Amino acid sequence: MARVPWSFLNDRPIIQIEFTLAQGGKASRTLLADTGAGTAKGPFELILEEHDCLLFGGSFAQTVKLSGAYAGSFPRYLLLAEIPVIQFSGDVFAIGVTAPPKGLDGIAGIRFLNRFTYGNFGNPTEFGLET
Amino acid sequence: MAPNSKKEVEPMPDVQELNRDLANRLIEEVKKDRQSAYNGKFVGLANGQIIVVTENLAELAQRLRQAEPDPARTFIVEPGRDLDEVFEVWETC
Repeated sequence: MARVPWSFLNDRPIIQIEFTLAQGGKASRTLLADTGAGTAKGPFELILEEHDCLLFGGSFAQTVKLSGAYAGSFPRYLLLAEIPVIQFSGDVFAIGVTAPPKGLDGIAGIRFLNRFTYGNFGNPTEFGLET
Repeated sequence: MAPNSKKEVEPMPDVQELNRDLANRLIEEVKKDRQSAYNGKFVGLANGQIIVVTENLAELAQRLRQAEPDPARTFIVEPGRDLDEVFEVWETC
């Protein structure tokens, strides 16, 4: 069992995910941990800036229709996501948007968070994932 | 067109157009035949051809990367999935 906690950012729960750049190397992105994004069986796990999806060598997939914070038809990409400290590595579908939440690189939705045990683990200023 | 000139050659469709045309054909096939081998599966396409049919996302990604290292030439379709559904992202601000 491994656990990684992140301190809240502007009082909001966040997680950090590492991606492999198409040109080589790795890049980390900070995402809002948002159980209200998508559904547990929906067709995407993350929402990222579309430029990042391309930077990370995402394969194109069918577009998805969203409502709420993002409304309309959006491109979808298959990306390799990693959280090395808890030995997580997995392929995930990410939606590409032009404007992620202010001050963040995107959103990790319920389908991604549900891969783990998640929560504050008793610390009200942290959010963590556990495998 | 100038007199006596040869008929203009149709431009080659780009790879993503080929991929999307094939994806649309697979979607139509599953709509007509729910017993289709593509129903309930991920289908990975590259350069207008089917590369992999699988239920496993990791296998899909691996086989696609092996077959075509350039992701811009690949496409993933879930022929049996209704993607006309609208998915909600609750307001975060």
